[in-house]
Amino acid sequence: MNTVKKILKIREMTSFLFLIALFAGVGMVNSSFLSPTSLLNCFNDSVVFTLLAVGIAFVILTGEIDVSIGAILGLSAAVTSTLLRNGSSWAVAFLAGVMVGVVTGVINGFGVAVLNIPSLIFTLGTMGLFRGMIYVYTGGAWVENLPAPFTMLSKAKLVGDLTAFYAVVLAFVILAHYILTKTRRGKYFIAVGDNAAGATLIGIPTVNTKFVSYVLCGVFSAVAGILYSSRIGFITPTAGNGYEMKAIAACVLGGISLTGGLGSLIGASIGAVIMSSVSRILVFLGFSSDYDNTITGILLIVIVVVDAVSQNRAAVKNRHMRLAARAQSKKGDDQK
Amino acid sequence: MKNSPLESLKRGVKSWEFALLMILFLEFVIFGAKNSKFLNPNILLGSVNDIISICIISLFVTFVMITGGIDIQAGAIVGFTSIIVGVVWQDGGLNIWAACLIAVIAAALCGALSGFFVAYCNVQPMVVTLGGGFLYSGLALLVAKLSATESYKGISGFPDSFRQISQFKLFGVIPEQVIIFAVLTVIAYLLLHKTKYGRKVFLVGVNPRAAEYSGINSRLVIMSTYVLSGISAAIAGIVLTSYLDTAKSDIGATFTLQIITAVVLGGTLSTGGKGNVIGTALAALVIGILRFGLPLCFKINTQYLDIPVGLLLLIVITARSLAGNSKVVRFMNGVMPRGWGKTAAH
Amino acid sequence: MAESQKKFSDQAIISVRGIHKAFGLNNVLKGIDLNVNSGEVVALIGGNGAGKSTLMKIIMGIHQPDRGEIYVDGEKVNLTKPSVALSKGIYMIPQEPMLFPNMTVEENIIAGFREKAADLHVRLVNQMKEIGWDLDLNRKANSLSIAEQTLVEILRGLLRNSRVLIFDEPTSALTFDEVESLFKCIATLKARGIGIIYITHRLTEVFDIATHVAIMCDGVITLNGPVGDFTREMLVKGLLPPNMAEQNEKRQTAERAELDYQKLKPVFELKSFSGYGFSNINLEIYPGEILGVAGVVGAGRTELATTIFGMDKVLGGSAILDGRDITGLPTKKVLEAGINYVPEDRHLLGLFKISDIAANTTSAMLSDSSMGKMFLNGKAEYELTRKYVDDFRIKITGQDQLTGSLSGGNQQKIVIARALSTQPKLIILDEPTRGIDAAARGDVYTIIHQLKEQGVAIMLISSDIEEIIELADRAVAVYQGHINLEFNKKEINQDNLMAAAFGVTGGRKAEV
Repeated sequence: MNTVKKILKIREMTSFLFLIALFAGVGMVNSSFLSPTSLLNCFNDSVVFTLLAVGIAFVILTGEIDVSIGAILGLSAAVTSTLLRNGSSWAVAFLAGVMVGVVTGVINGFGVAVLNIPSLIFTLGTMGLFRGMIYVYTGGAWVENLPAPFTMLSKAKLVGDLTAFYAVVLAFVILAHYILTKTRRGKYFIAVGDNAAGATLIGIPTVNTKFVSYVLCGVFSAVAGILYSSRIGFITPTAGNGYEMKAIAACVLGGISLTGGLGSLIGASIGAVIMSSVSRILVFLGFSSDYDNTITGILLIVIVVVDAVSQNRAAVKNRHMRLAARAQSKKGDDQK
Repeated sequence: MKNSPLESLKRGVKSWEFALLMILFLEFVIFGAKNSKFLNPNILLGSVNDIISICIISLFVTFVMITGGIDIQAGAIVGFTSIIVGVVWQDGGLNIWAACLIAVIAAALCGALSGFFVAYCNVQPMVVTLGGGFLYSGLALLVAKLSATESYKGISGFPDSFRQISQFKLFGVIPEQVIIFAVLTVIAYLLLHKTKYGRKVFLVGVNPRAAEYSGINSRLVIMSTYVLSGISAAIAGIVLTSYLDTAKSDIGATFTLQIITAVVLGGTLSTGGKGNVIGTALAALVIGILRFGLPLCFKINTQYLDIPVGLLLLIVITARSLAGNSKVVRFMNGVMPRGWGKTAAH
Repeated sequence: MAESQKKFSDQAIISVRGIHKAFGLNNVLKGIDLNVNSGEVVALIGGNGAGKSTLMKIIMGIHQPDRGEIYVDGEKVNLTKPSVALSKGIYMIPQEPMLFPNMTVEENIIAGFREKAADLHVRLVNQMKEIGWDLDLNRKANSLSIAEQTLVEILRGLLRNSRVLIFDEPTSALTFDEVESLFKCIATLKARGIGIIYITHRLTEVFDIATHVAIMCDGVITLNGPVGDFTREMLVKGLLPPNMAEQNEKRQTAERAELDYQKLKPVFELKSFSGYGFSNINLEIYPGEILGVAGVVGAGRTELATTIFGMDKVLGGSAILDGRDITGLPTKKVLEAGINYVPEDRHLLGLFKISDIAANTTSAMLSDSSMGKMFLNGKAEYELTRKYVDDFRIKITGQDQLTGSLSGGNQQKIVIARALSTQPKLIILDEPTRGIDAAARGDVYTIIHQLKEQGVAIMLISSDIEEIIELADRAVAVYQGHINLEFNKKEINQDNLMAAAFGVTGGRKAEV
């Protein structure tokens, strides 16, 4: 029982140790990987995925899913970039991008939390809708020639090689983590995912909580879209295609259970670093990035299968122990 | 069973499949009225190549979703089989049909692997097939690397006998793909609705534990549905490769949304236990015709086509959810087609 | 009556009046009046399906009543959602504790509060001191025993300063010692002036802890008053549906032919059979015999049945059917060998609710060649289903009706039909009449008698002592995973069975 308790306590710790072991392993093959710049770049480059993973983590923690975040990223990127290119002020463009996140989040939240539609199906539908809206908005053309100050923003360094982007995002993640684990309403998210019926019974508003999780997810994805524009410098209508899958994978790698109620935002951001480092690591190991998907798929499947099998084992063992205790209490009495 | 023909007819008219048929009919009327080219058999039937994959795969993803699962890896398997056919034929030097057989076996194994994790390890189907999607598309890329041909070009120049799959036309009009789809629909229909295996699929989807108590091996049944959907993806991959005369590793990448939409639109309950092959087939056609007709008749850019498909999915599931709400049901009683209320009851 | 009711409710903490509730066509509550005063423990008893849980869910604000009013401290309240009920000082400890498995005990207890965590911690520690409990607040909820989980639920309620606590069959999953400590706790709460609604189906508990008793039958309260006004016999009679008493007499005179055990060979034997939840079970069952298996919920009876049925692992001993060793075979093989099982929880394990009736009745027959080789033989399916629908008088609109829309009794008949479709030599019935109405119960009894005449061996697991008395040729009592005592037909009576089921006899200390 104690070991189970310990393992559960340090779920994101396991991911962190895995990250360190991974980096150390790559470093042994190719020591140049371990240079501070190279290591820091693993984190710097994960900034978009960190935002996406943390955003969707809100939703996953409540026990739902959102596969439209890639499209939300693309839509927000397209809107922000177009406005900037057309000479809007940064404030207007950024606000418009964030509003994209709010509106899309509200649509998803309404469908899933209020109308009670299975989240995978509903967000699959909105994914098509949002993705199509990118084409409508941009007319299918690329958004190019973004103002240089905006694209330079992504290269701004705060301390040494640490980009300002990652520093700010990290600060936000820590703040969100604090809110989620320390405040009353923050704790609702995990409570709803852990046991929705139980949460209702003690007066936690499950519908509201799920709704808010989708809005937050939308906003985080939209902000990810803005950073994406700045980093890449041009937006295609397919921007962010398939990113939802990688963000979900990042959450799983970071120790978040897809059944909800288990995991943390810190875990999600660690998972995002692992996820986005895979191709960089492959390069340092001398493989082509063609192995990217294969490695990601294997990592994902191995981790979820191990997790599920160990949880099933524990559940079965628990049940057997309880039943055995009942039957054996008689024996104990007989010996008295 | 002992219903009078009139009663059966009445029920048929109220069913969801009938509603889909009407939508399909409506599409023909609207598109046909807008642009008479649409009704030209050669043009209409020629469009089949763009939609055939979705039609074939969604038939068997229906099985998966009836057991309460989901399959978002089928698109990756399409690319995987396509590139296997190409590489085994061109670089392996095997007979094209042997290459196809190997591709089908590989796809079945992919399905079996994911199905095993879902059924025997209790991992959520969504996550397993997500990982499977990465894995199989990744493997497809690695297989492509085995080839002497650059992977972005794709392998082409297939023998005529293979190309005949997509070139042959019955009576000079009906493309072979239509026949393949029709045959597969009949097979899927018989398998799901008329065999003992199909009954087990339904029972497992309704209540897997009660199925175990009826002596049904729920896990094996669940796993088998993923094998079936894998095989169907392989068939789609082969047909598509023949049509394009190109084997590429990523030709199925955009199919997921359309497949799931077809299955859900066809009346399959996303929580499992209810579904219908005919519904799925009709829904796949509705989507296919929509994607074909909108650009042809309304000059809508093909890139926008995710919007109507997404909207269609959203409208159907939202309407179902509202129909399941007891207040709305009471209000709408008698207005909705009967099939809706039934599927929405749970 | 009306006057006394009014006087009664003047001081009531909570008072419900004329509550009606229907789900679809199913009238669950048909006008409920109930009062709970400060310091009272009102025992609410009644079979499953009587409507107790629905009533409690209405009081908790989870369901809304169709008609009727609820008063708290004499003031009419509108309990639209659980948070409203909580703010009025009502708290329910659900039958299955609804904790957050991945949170610690403390996090579980203070979830949903508006106060500061530090203040809550102080209050929580004080509260635990006050009632004298010791619980590690940093343990994860998924490591707690069921009893400990119940304690956590109670602490949740207390910390909210709840004045009405509802216990929904709290002892159903508890061991003997745990029950004792729970009763001590309830006594403490009672002394503090908290009003308690205590739902149970065990009569002994009523006399142990309740001050008042109310019996619910089929959506109405049939008996209500201070516990001192009643004897156990009166309660038993109150629990039986009105027409049951007559039916009992009729049937008891009809069949009393004792089995001649000398001439019979047992069809099924268990030898030192052990599994999770029970051990060292020795049993034999004869053709045409009804063997009653008595015991409280959680005694290991269901585990015994599911293990025989191939659902759980056999830990030792053997099971022999008709001379053939079937120990540890998978369910499919056990079915084919000639055993079938009607599970206790028909909703979870028995029914395919969104499937039609024919699909349900034939579900256990799908491997049989009579249902067709590969294609399903529609005619055979129709005939088989029609046979059972006619034989069992199952009320349906057609074979394509969905089983979820049938009444509880008809659903149960369908589950039984499924079990019989395989023509078993031994059928295990686990609580076959739980939650079904009197008429359906009579029909189920008729079916059991018919089976007996056909020479099928029947293992009847039931918490309903009356049922075993009426039906069984022989009975065993299971207590904490062991067979405590065996009774022949003449010895089967309420006192013997009750005493053995609760471990009073058979080498165990008395519970009362």
